[in-house]
Amino acid sequence: MARVVILGAGISGHTAALHLRRLLGKGHEVVVVSPNADWNWIPSNIWVGVGRMSPKQVTFPLAPVYRRQGIEFRQARAVAIWPEGDGDSGQPAVDIVATLPGRSGEQNRLGYDYLINATGPKLNFAATPGLGPDGNSLSVCTPGHAEQAARALDGVIEKLRAGQRQTLVIGVGHGMCTCEGAAFEYTFNVEHELRSRGLRDLADVIYLSNEYELGDFGVGGMVFQQQGFISSSQMWTESLFRERGVKAILRAHVERVEPGKIYYETLDGSRGALAFDFAMLLPPFRGADLKAYDRAGTDITADLFAPSGFLKVDADYTPKPAGQWRAEDWPETYQSPRYANVFGIGIAFAPPHAISKPRTSPNGTVIAPAPPRTGMPSAVMGRQVARSISDMIRHGAAKPTHTASMAAMGAACIASAGAGFRHGTAAAMTMYPVVPDFARFPVHGRSLKDTSGEIGLAAHWVKHLLHFVFIYKAKARPGWAFLPE
Amino acid sequence: MDTADDRIAAAPLPSARTLRRRRSIPLQLFRFGRINLRMLRMVRKAH
Repeated sequence: MARVVILGAGISGHTAALHLRRLLGKGHEVVVVSPNADWNWIPSNIWVGVGRMSPKQVTFPLAPVYRRQGIEFRQARAVAIWPEGDGDSGQPAVDIVATLPGRSGEQNRLGYDYLINATGPKLNFAATPGLGPDGNSLSVCTPGHAEQAARALDGVIEKLRAGQRQTLVIGVGHGMCTCEGAAFEYTFNVEHELRSRGLRDLADVIYLSNEYELGDFGVGGMVFQQQGFISSSQMWTESLFRERGVKAILRAHVERVEPGKIYYETLDGSRGALAFDFAMLLPPFRGADLKAYDRAGTDITADLFAPSGFLKVDADYTPKPAGQWRAEDWPETYQSPRYANVFGIGIAFAPPHAISKPRTSPNGTVIAPAPPRTGMPSAVMGRQVARSISDMIRHGAAKPTHTASMAAMGAACIASAGAGFRHGTAAAMTMYPVVPDFARFPVHGRSLKDTSGEIGLAAHWVKHLLHFVFIYKAKARPGWAFLPE
Repeated sequence: MDTADDRIAAAPLPSARTLRRRRSIPLQLFRFGRINLRMLRMVRKAH
């Protein structure tokens, strides 16, 4: 009997757990370790952040689903990996600290035969002084953060109703953030809410981002073929900003956030300050604080993990300039090169480099979006790694049998720009591949046939539909395995 | 170097017809089907 331990129950970890349980049968154990009691459909957090949904509508308790599926659930935080075992035993193990109320703080060493690190990101608010809900800005990264943002937005709306001019700044809170798409979505949802209440004229809405140009979204932008022209996500996004009267500050690294004021540096080396009444700034991500030790107890964290805290997998981490990036740099199997029974998926794996071109200010500050690896690619990684591990356990496969390179997979992304069945709108984008491959697609790096974008009410309906479909799937309701990731 | 706001000010604005089409229920029902088909194509390429 083999035991597979999965650290994290987000989109990638939860997907891997459900598929492993389905594939392995009852003779093997699947254990999920997550500090959170609930599963969260993160793409809908932006609607919690404008008061359109409650936290309960975007979450559900994991324990009943895992009980029904025969998956063991430990509500705990992983703190250390012993991939060779410890002094007492050669059994690989992971140290976990319980977060379950009543048992909080209890530490256990949990043995494993296979380990999937799917911890997701650590929200690194500390990277920017004053950033975050414990500082002077808001976030929509968790349902709790989003609910807090919605309450603050209510306060802004009351002031606007009283005739007071308000400045709302939405974006990213560090030069190396990712998830610009989420910041974009929240910007336009807030703008939509203000407009629908007839309060837009008194509000200045400013998008503050580390992107070099609008429409980059951390994937280096996209190029579309539409109505006989080659157009770009940059033009398309700038048009939306003009239509909706949203201003933008780009190429910015937020240095600190003080009450009512954001201080930032831009790529040309200049510095600016921006007064605000409401600021939602996403944090940069880093890996969960996991340590690793060899059997003798020597700290091998730097061997397993990149300096960012993300797990090194089968990527090519050789530093190279952007002009020499190749599709083959990106991992395919997500297997640790040092331990064949350890995998890293979703945000938890260390990408080989960015997708957008990295840039540095004259002051030496790196201002460039980190590569996004959420949503559809994360879930696909979860499924493919589950298949590989199942083949290794059940059929004795010597190496992973399934791949999921971001340089070989397509992705669909629906970015909401305002909720409402009749008056909602969203941008629907598809891209293939996620990571540009200039060897296959020499001109634009992606297939023009499969890279597309459009704005409209239909895209909002699709986003709303996906909300229900993916929560249904994550609850492992009948037929869940037939629904695509 | 143009600022972001300079570029936004020079960006093409959708016409009234385009804005109407983006909210037209019959047309958007068609688009809804098309977006889903495109997404299924991506699903096929992602698996």
